[in-house]
Amino acid sequence: MPKSGSFTRTVLAVAAAAILAVVASGTAGAAPAKHSGTTLSGAGSSFVSPLVSQWIPAVGSAFGYELQYSPIGSGGGIAAITSRTVDFGASDAPLTPDQFTACKGCVQIPWALSATSIIYNVSGVKNLLHMDGPTLAKIFMGQITDWNDPAIQSLNKGVNLPSEKIAIVHRSDNSGATYNFTDYLSTVSPAWKSQLGVGVAVNWPVGSGQRGSAGVAAGVSQTPGGIGYVDVAFALKNHLKFFAMKNRSGKFATPGLKGILAAASSDQKPTAGTNELSIVNPPKKFALAYPISTYTYVIAPTSSPKAQELRKFLFWAVTKGQTFGPKLLFQPIPKSVLVVAEKAITQIKS
Amino acid sequence: MSSAELTPEATRRPFTGRRVRFGDLVLQVVAGTAAAAATVLVGLITWKVVDGAWPAITHYGVRFVTRVAWNPVVGHELYGAGSFLFGTAVTSLLALAIAAPLSIGIALYLTELAPRFLRGPVTALVETLAAIPSVVIGLWGILVLGPVLRDHVEPGLHSALGFIPLFGAPSTSGSSMFTAIIVLTIMILPIVSSISRELFLGVPSELKEGALALGTTRWEMVRGVMFPYARGGIAAALILGLGRAVGEAIAVTQVIGGGVFIHWNLFDSGDTLASKIAASYQGATSKLQVGSLIYLALILLVFSLVMNLAAQWIVRRVARRQGLGART
Amino acid sequence: MQHVHLPRRRRVNRLMEGLAMLAALIAVGMLVIVVWSVAKRGAGAINLDLITKNPVPFSFEPVAQGLANAFVGSLVLVGLATLMALPVGILVAVYLNEFAPPSVRTFVGLVLDVLNGVPAIVIGIFVFGLVVIGRGQSGWAGAFALACLMLPLVARSTIEVLALVPSSLREASLALGVARWRTTLSIVLPQTIGGVLTGTVLAVARVSGETAPLLFTSSIVGTQTSWSPFHALQSVPVAIFELSESPDPQDHARAWAAALVLLLFILFTSLAARWLATRSRRKLAASR
Repeated sequence: MPKSGSFTRTVLAVAAAAILAVVASGTAGAAPAKHSGTTLSGAGSSFVSPLVSQWIPAVGSAFGYELQYSPIGSGGGIAAITSRTVDFGASDAPLTPDQFTACKGCVQIPWALSATSIIYNVSGVKNLLHMDGPTLAKIFMGQITDWNDPAIQSLNKGVNLPSEKIAIVHRSDNSGATYNFTDYLSTVSPAWKSQLGVGVAVNWPVGSGQRGSAGVAAGVSQTPGGIGYVDVAFALKNHLKFFAMKNRSGKFATPGLKGILAAASSDQKPTAGTNELSIVNPPKKFALAYPISTYTYVIAPTSSPKAQELRKFLFWAVTKGQTFGPKLLFQPIPKSVLVVAEKAITQIKS
Repeated sequence: MSSAELTPEATRRPFTGRRVRFGDLVLQVVAGTAAAAATVLVGLITWKVVDGAWPAITHYGVRFVTRVAWNPVVGHELYGAGSFLFGTAVTSLLALAIAAPLSIGIALYLTELAPRFLRGPVTALVETLAAIPSVVIGLWGILVLGPVLRDHVEPGLHSALGFIPLFGAPSTSGSSMFTAIIVLTIMILPIVSSISRELFLGVPSELKEGALALGTTRWEMVRGVMFPYARGGIAAALILGLGRAVGEAIAVTQVIGGGVFIHWNLFDSGDTLASKIAASYQGATSKLQVGSLIYLALILLVFSLVMNLAAQWIVRRVARRQGLGART
Repeated sequence: MQHVHLPRRRRVNRLMEGLAMLAALIAVGMLVIVVWSVAKRGAGAINLDLITKNPVPFSFEPVAQGLANAFVGSLVLVGLATLMALPVGILVAVYLNEFAPPSVRTFVGLVLDVLNGVPAIVIGIFVFGLVVIGRGQSGWAGAFALACLMLPLVARSTIEVLALVPSSLREASLALGVARWRTTLSIVLPQTIGGVLTGTVLAVARVSGETAPLLFTSSIVGTQTSWSPFHALQSVPVAIFELSESPDPQDHARAWAAALVLLLFILFTSLAARWLATRSRRKLAASR
């Protein structure tokens, strides 16, 4: 019987072992998985992912939990927790009654507070150009197509706007940032409200879609004349310029901590049961408010095999975790909301 | 054919026969189970896809296939595959239209024209193109091809051929159907060219030399002998290439921009069946939206099956006519 | 009589030859451009950090990071997929070649070709619906999806090599009284090892770069390296996909570097497969 291939087999086995050895030794340098503790996996909003990323090492050292988070968009988070493919979901868009039913025993908890910035990539102009709601709606409906349009120019007297075409970048996935943005546009533009409405995704009449906040930030930064909407932490990280938006009192506010805090003062009482809050386009008396601010929620099952770890993590998130927020422009949640959040967390049982 | 018939020992050691048959039986059952499992797998895939699409199938019926809409807003939900079918058709067919002459040209070059020392290396080079993963081509498409097309090629095409509605206003972001077409061309090319090359190599040399001996030029020989001989196989290769393009999700979703409209301007963004599924599946929440996305997958599956079977059938017909073994 | 048209015919011929050469140049040119882009940008960003450090998501200051978790994850996923697909593929081929009546052979052959033609993204949706819903993502689910893609490739190449084994070998063995099953396992199959290896290596090369099925089955991952397939594992193609959509040039650099490593791995395995194929073909031809 011929000794078929025994030499080949040996060579290949040695080669495979060698490659494995190299990779194993290389990756041994990388921190090994802490499987001593529990793994808490979550998915959803890319809006909150900058904050959650800061929490991952902190939770690891505080409790020994390995926190895994995948920013697949608010819609993805709702879908994932509904099908229980993760331990918790995160969404900027509050659950609809149908989604609550489909989730079969989920509790929604506001756990962070920030704002959606409107980013732009226009050559030769400074940061914090002025913009207002109705003009923004017209731009995203395709009715205003050039940067030097009189409507934009009148808001920015003294600035030399180029005659570039406006290149709209929106989210292609189901996104809480889209929900926040369209929620705002619906309050400032009746035309937007009737034609396009509010949602985690809408029937965008113009523009190109990108996945995730990262995608929109990439799209705008790589497209001359680009305009898009993204959570302000992403704008900061990627040095993108964003608008100062005109609020109802007529002032132009920036998506900073002061503007967000002022907006949050307009609704301090989460709705009973769903715990949702709406703080877009706050009334006139909140003169400093940034009008496109939003809470973001964590959605957890009321009955979970990891209930104890979840409760511990979420308590930490809404208290100690908030201290990681300000440098990312997440305003710590106000006391009244914190009380409701903590109560909701106790609903998570084994 | 049982070994008992061949084994002379069966007559001498009757019990050996039974033991031998048991081992045979075990192997046959185990191997047969594997074959059955493969069959069950295909059935399971089909069933799961139909089952997943069922909410949308019962809600929309067949009209879903032609409707141009994708409105996920709660309360106004309306879905349809029309714009994605359009996107798939435009991108795949145009990519095939570009890739076909290039692939056949390369195959001809490698079999008839290239100097011998070049043939091996260039063939290996083209087949390497097939080995590049789609996500890497997509990466290249986003970061290298897109900006080049946006800044140089599209404005140029628009100013030169702008009267044709296909070459309308250039895209602003580099993500467009045109970029997707180029990416798909790169993916189709190696498949069609390697099959064509093997087909051309299989043309009997007597036929070729006979034609040349009659005084035809090489091109006339190719046109009169090689093309007719390889016609069926090339058709199958083109269908396989088309199937590859239709099923490609990742590279396309990276560069196509995403949109729900039917625009004739190639420089606009759009979506294909596969790229829409890749972009929207993770975030789909309502049962109807998930069902509609899987309905898209069902249409995609049917397309791929039909094209696969068509290619097989052509190859078998050609093989029967030419008395060759079936080869795809 | 043909001499009248000869100059024109010669011109047409030269034109067509030129076009064919142009086509070859364009195709080779495209390949060179893509590979050159990956090589240049990847080489500039490749460093030991890539396989020794884990990613650090969303850091404001540039920090040393890499894709160690993705490389380990890909190893585990592709390794498990191979372990799942290889035995099943060989058994299917054995059944078709040694036991099946011709009608079953055609039918199962068709089934394998159909399986080969199912787009990877549909396989991803299938495995998601089958295994992930309710249970969560896992390395097992991802490996199973990859195994579905590998199966037809392994089976087909094994069938081809099994058919090449001369029946005289089988008949001689059976005539000597060796049982059918032992003939198959100890005499026929060892002859095919080269071909089976080739098919497996090609399948590994193909599946190492697959992204779509893993998006649905193994994409919600942490940043730590893990060898356990009971959780979702990061993989190189999914990592490249996510990094490609980021606005951060540092992320792009890491994507190019990972793409270069992936490309080199696939090229190396494809070359190895081709070398194995030539060797086994030569050996089988010699044994006839």
